[in-house]
Amino acid sequence: MNDTPTLIALTEAAIDLNALQRAVTTDLDGTVVAFIGTVRGVTPGAAEPVTTRLEYEAYAAMAENKLRQVAREMREKFAGIHGIALTQRVGEMAVGEPVVAVVVSCGHRGGGAFEAARYGIDRLKQIVPVWKKETRPDGSAWVEGDYVPARGD
Amino acid sequence: MKIQLFATLRDRAKARSIEVALEGPTTVAELRKVIAAQHAALADLLPQALVAVNQEFAFDEDAVGPDNEVALFPPVSGG
Repeated sequence: MNDTPTLIALTEAAIDLNALQRAVTTDLDGTVVAFIGTVRGVTPGAAEPVTTRLEYEAYAAMAENKLRQVAREMREKFAGIHGIALTQRVGEMAVGEPVVAVVVSCGHRGGGAFEAARYGIDRLKQIVPVWKKETRPDGSAWVEGDYVPARGD
Repeated sequence: MKIQLFATLRDRAKARSIEVALEGPTTVAELRKVIAAQHAALADLLPQALVAVNQEFAFDEDAVGPDNEVALFPPVSGG
């Protein structure tokens, strides 16, 4: 049995959460934590609060490498975790659609899977070269990232 | 050499990549100047743009040459 399955995907396909859960769960695990990022349709307080859809683009080769790097960092920081699945979708996404998944397994609920999933999505949003163009009722524009990479990222 | 473009830079250039004439190996800082000089439409986006060399983030003092895979893009906004 592989105690540390790692699944990386950059894909146009829909996210199959049940399949990801099965893929990360080893015989050592009693816990699976899943973070799912979805397309938010309304952002209260924003100048233009309504989002109609998002269109995702990736620098695919580098994005896959950086997803693997995020998984490596998760293992370095959270030694108790076992399985990791990182899925980022690309293409056009409607409001409510799951776009990104970070799924982590470990033996017990206190074993670091919650923390690792949080770290994973934060890092993914910092270093994986993916961009989203937002369409609103008044037009469309690229969403500006704000993280400037440092050496080692 | 060919430089791949993404997101705002691709839209601005209306192309997935641009060609720049480079006299042999140089630095990332110098490459930014060459791009701004040869592709004026991208000039105002360059100060905030990130450079990747061989699929790793690259910094001003890093070496870059015609044999490298180079990409230019804005700070990422995935997830």
